Amino acid sequence: MNQLTLEQALKMIEAAERWARDIAGSPCSIAVVDKAGAVIAVHRMDGAGMATTDIAIEKAWTAVAFKMPTLMGSRWLDPRNIGKLLGDHAMGMIGRGKGRLCFIPGGIPVTDEENEVIGAIGCSGVPSGVGDISDTSVSQVGVTALYE
Amino acid sequence: MMNLEVAKKLLQIGIENAKEMGRVCSIALVDENGWLVALHRMDGSPSPTAEIARDKAWTAAVFRRPSSEVSAYGDPRAPGFGLNAQNWNDRLTIIPGGFPIWGGDLIIGAIGCCGETPEEDVSLCQKIIEKILRDKIILEFKEVG
Repeated sequence: MNQLTLEQALKMIEAAERWARDIAGSPCSIAVVDKAGAVIAVHRMDGAGMATTDIAIEKAWTAVAFKMPTLMGSRWLDPRNIGKLLGDHAMGMIGRGKGRLCFIPGGIPVTDEENEVIGAIGCSGVPSGVGDISDTSVSQVGVTALYE
Repeated sequence: MMNLEVAKKLLQIGIENAKEMGRVCSIALVDENGWLVALHRMDGSPSPTAEIARDKAWTAAVFRRPSSEVSAYGDPRAPGFGLNAQNWNDRLTIIPGGFPIWGGDLIIGAIGCCGETPEEDVSLCQKIIEKILRDKIILEFKEVG
């Protein structure tokens, strides 16, 4: 299994940052964690809210802890889905993981060639609902940059 | 006052210096209110170092003095005794390795290093701050806005 290095993490963050600034037009925080959920790098862009760094780290942590994008997990917590989906009891996820679990969309795990999760990227600060622009899309740009 | 561009430049200087010393560490940069702007953990550095570096930088920024000097207020003979029992957002630390960054009389932010012995952390911080003064990185930043 490969290790995510600082160099790779910065490559992801730089690409995501450029996209957030030039295309999304929203300052945000971007964090990359390794396969144990430990922070490798965090950047907060000028103008992004002060709480966004922590939320970005939490999203990345949750993505690596569950080995899936937080977008998927956010469906569990949507009260409109109660009784409709498998796992509708997941409202109990709120406040778990010593307060680190964060099922707001924006965290995506990254995998190596053998499809093993080696880390995750998280983004916070981009308002969603405007076309395809959201925290998730900024994170996706970061993931794509890793594989280029 | 701290912006990401300056933070990245300082992190680069710090990591180059740490590589020269043959050590691995985490470096955190916070703004003047102690909020994180950028944090890098070098490959091979233990995971708690990231959080400790951030704590050191927070302490230096909010107290406007090196994190090692804050311990003077925890002395039972000093008037400030009791500081250690306050709720400091779980971030107060007296481990050496956090330094405020000044642009003249104005506080710009703070830097925290963790991963080596406290002496080495301090010397790494000092190297970065010397570099700021020598290359006038902060002056450059002031002109930009």
